[in-house]
Amino acid sequence: MEEPVVKLEGLTFTYAGSETPALKDINLTVRPGEFVTVTGPSGCGKSTLALCLTGFIPHSFDGVMEGKVIIGGRDTRTCTAGELAGIAGLVQQDPESQLCTLNVLDEVAFGPENICLPPDIIKERVKWALSAVGLSGFTDRLVHTLSGGEKQRLAIASVLAMRPQLLILDEPTANLDPRGCREVLSVIKKLHQEQKTAIIVIEHRLQYLLPFSDRLILMEEGRITGEQQPQRFHYYYPTFKVKDDQQTGSACPSSSHDVDGKSALSNKPLLAVEDITVKYEQKIALKRISFSLYPGETAAVMGDNGSGKTTLLHVLLGICKPDQGRVFFDGEDITGAGVSRRARDMGLTFQNPNHQLFERTVIKEARLHSHFLAADLEQSLKRVEQLLERFDLSSYREQVPFALSLGEKKRLTFISVLAYQPPILLLDEPLVGQDMERLELLLGAINEHRRQGGITIMICHEPPVVKCCCQRVLFFEDGNLIFDGPTEEAFNELARRGRDEYLPQSCFAPEAVKGAMMGS
Amino acid sequence: MIGVGRLKKNGRPSYSINLKGFLPGLTYMPGETTLHRLHPLIKLELLICYGLMVFALPHYIPGLCLLIILLAAYQAAGMGLTFFWRKLRFIIIFGSLIFFVHLIFVHKGVLLWQSSLLGLQLQIWSAGVTDGLSLLFRFINIISSSYLFVATTDPNSLAYSLMQVGLPYRFGFMLITSLRFIPVFYMELSQVRNAQMAKGIDLEGFSLKKFSLIIRYLFVPLVVSALSKVDSLTISMESRAFGLHQKRTYLEQRSFTRRDWLQVILVLGCSLAFYLVMHRYI
Repeated sequence: MEEPVVKLEGLTFTYAGSETPALKDINLTVRPGEFVTVTGPSGCGKSTLALCLTGFIPHSFDGVMEGKVIIGGRDTRTCTAGELAGIAGLVQQDPESQLCTLNVLDEVAFGPENICLPPDIIKERVKWALSAVGLSGFTDRLVHTLSGGEKQRLAIASVLAMRPQLLILDEPTANLDPRGCREVLSVIKKLHQEQKTAIIVIEHRLQYLLPFSDRLILMEEGRITGEQQPQRFHYYYPTFKVKDDQQTGSACPSSSHDVDGKSALSNKPLLAVEDITVKYEQKIALKRISFSLYPGETAAVMGDNGSGKTTLLHVLLGICKPDQGRVFFDGEDITGAGVSRRARDMGLTFQNPNHQLFERTVIKEARLHSHFLAADLEQSLKRVEQLLERFDLSSYREQVPFALSLGEKKRLTFISVLAYQPPILLLDEPLVGQDMERLELLLGAINEHRRQGGITIMICHEPPVVKCCCQRVLFFEDGNLIFDGPTEEAFNELARRGRDEYLPQSCFAPEAVKGAMMGS
Repeated sequence: MIGVGRLKKNGRPSYSINLKGFLPGLTYMPGETTLHRLHPLIKLELLICYGLMVFALPHYIPGLCLLIILLAAYQAAGMGLTFFWRKLRFIIIFGSLIFFVHLIFVHKGVLLWQSSLLGLQLQIWSAGVTDGLSLLFRFINIISSSYLFVATTDPNSLAYSLMQVGLPYRFGFMLITSLRFIPVFYMELSQVRNAQMAKGIDLEGFSLKKFSLIIRYLFVPLVVSALSKVDSLTISMESRAFGLHQKRTYLEQRSFTRRDWLQVILVLGCSLAFYLVMHRYI
């Protein structure tokens, strides 16, 4: 039998300053050519495991490590990350921050150059690695001109060029749209089929990976827990229930508009845009967009990266001035109104929460919107307290917001907007990084807002969530609104256009996932 | 120099730190001219020699000659005088201001002209004219030559060339990664500004309190984001053996050919000849 590429024996690691170990008694063996998928809720130790497998722990992170980590026959206690470079390669979550050179060719050649290979061998490896990820024609392209999916494939190629025995991918699709996600996952599949490299993928989107994974490892609270409590993981979107104050654990809202104390559907739109066009330099970001939204509607905005989704939210709030067209709120033309005026009626949360955390403590951050925008500050501050409690953030109230996990930061920015009760919520991928329980809470709050007659416009890449919670879909392609209509019709239209990655059917039913785990 | 400007076009970025007001479009502009194709290190040698001559010949006649040579180089690089004026207008206006200050306040040499205006005695002396012109040319020449160097030299190619002739590669990659992250941070800056506006932080008008708020709310998220990117970048580079060995190899060899060496000697020879001729004259 071949020597294992990875052999972990009783691995426990505790970060300096922390009392709880991030990894507890991990035992794991991975053989050459094996494909292992690791999944688990946020903060369960998956990324720490990746750092242990690449030798960054114990050499670059302070903490106490116990047990043995043998990678390609080398003990990581005596072997640094650089020395393991030709054995284990790591691709991280954010494609933007892991590329260090200006063009594609230099990026892929970077690793082989560092290990002093002669130019003709480097050339061979670059050619091979680029072809393995489908970027053969991209050698002269500048890195910053690539799309998210292309950047992530480039990151994989740059690691592959080191010819590692073990390739570790830490949530490689987390920051990608469905198209980029499909590109990257098909590259991973191809690598597994064509190369003998052992692959460990840390991932939430299991629906694509399970069919060709040899093993599925589940982690919780720093331990490998196998198939225990699988219902808590993200891929169970199709079964979730929406919890709100009125209807705890009720089924998802149907497409009917059951707005409290109001008619099923108001005749007067609360928000309307007419003929909006936005140009950036030579490119048209939005082209003659028109639609109206009525009280009690939750609309999903879908489409590939760069299709104009975020620009639309910015136009609505006034951050981005349209070159043409008008925006109406409650019948009033607000096209010329300033952002701070509009922000009283429209609360926006951004895709990257790090860009909108300004204060030194969680409580101050949660109150920040209210201080500038609330009509009744006292009530709004009371609501902040209730929301912190409801969204499991009250224990962090005096902590620095930047120390929170991604999912917690997302909830914090959501709370700060929700607290001052704007009639319109503009949410840019609010569900990223949430486990099942928190996801239900967030969707419950959106549903509650809807029941009170509010509008939510949510950029969302999760078709099951859209299917369950949104009455309407606005689908964008290259700045054009190519579909605007009820959710069911939207999915039919997307299926007709062959955009399978946007269909809820592409996700696994729970039974399928359970079956896969039982088989592992 | 960094300016804070409000770019209203298309609504973003709104407030952003930029160089546009001072040196518009200070960036590499790809081209196929002889100057573009010249080895980056020879261009660096040219820039250094040019800079040395600007300082070694503190007189307006060599200054004027150097400016004429520079304008010819702009023409040769396919940019021309219109480009020179359009991009470097601010520098020329600022240089002219220096000239006028000298013209009015230096009272040495021969009195050339005097007049009385609203009770003020205005005098123009010969040293005021020559010193003013000398400084004007020096100022324009130094900045414009650097501008031309940046506009015609691919920074990536320059960094790799420097590393291949002995610059420690860690320094070379400091330059490359900085260049790599300029567009990233520029984008992040505009996103942070957008987030400030979305929170209702009104930046219209000016007050000290408002200014301190902008700075605090701008730099905290930017610094945190930069640090997190640095962490990720370090892991990415180290996992590809960066820093493992004292030396590294390069896929693209940018070593000197015989022709390049001849050009090096030619640049040195011409610079020396120019210096000797001018030095004798002044």
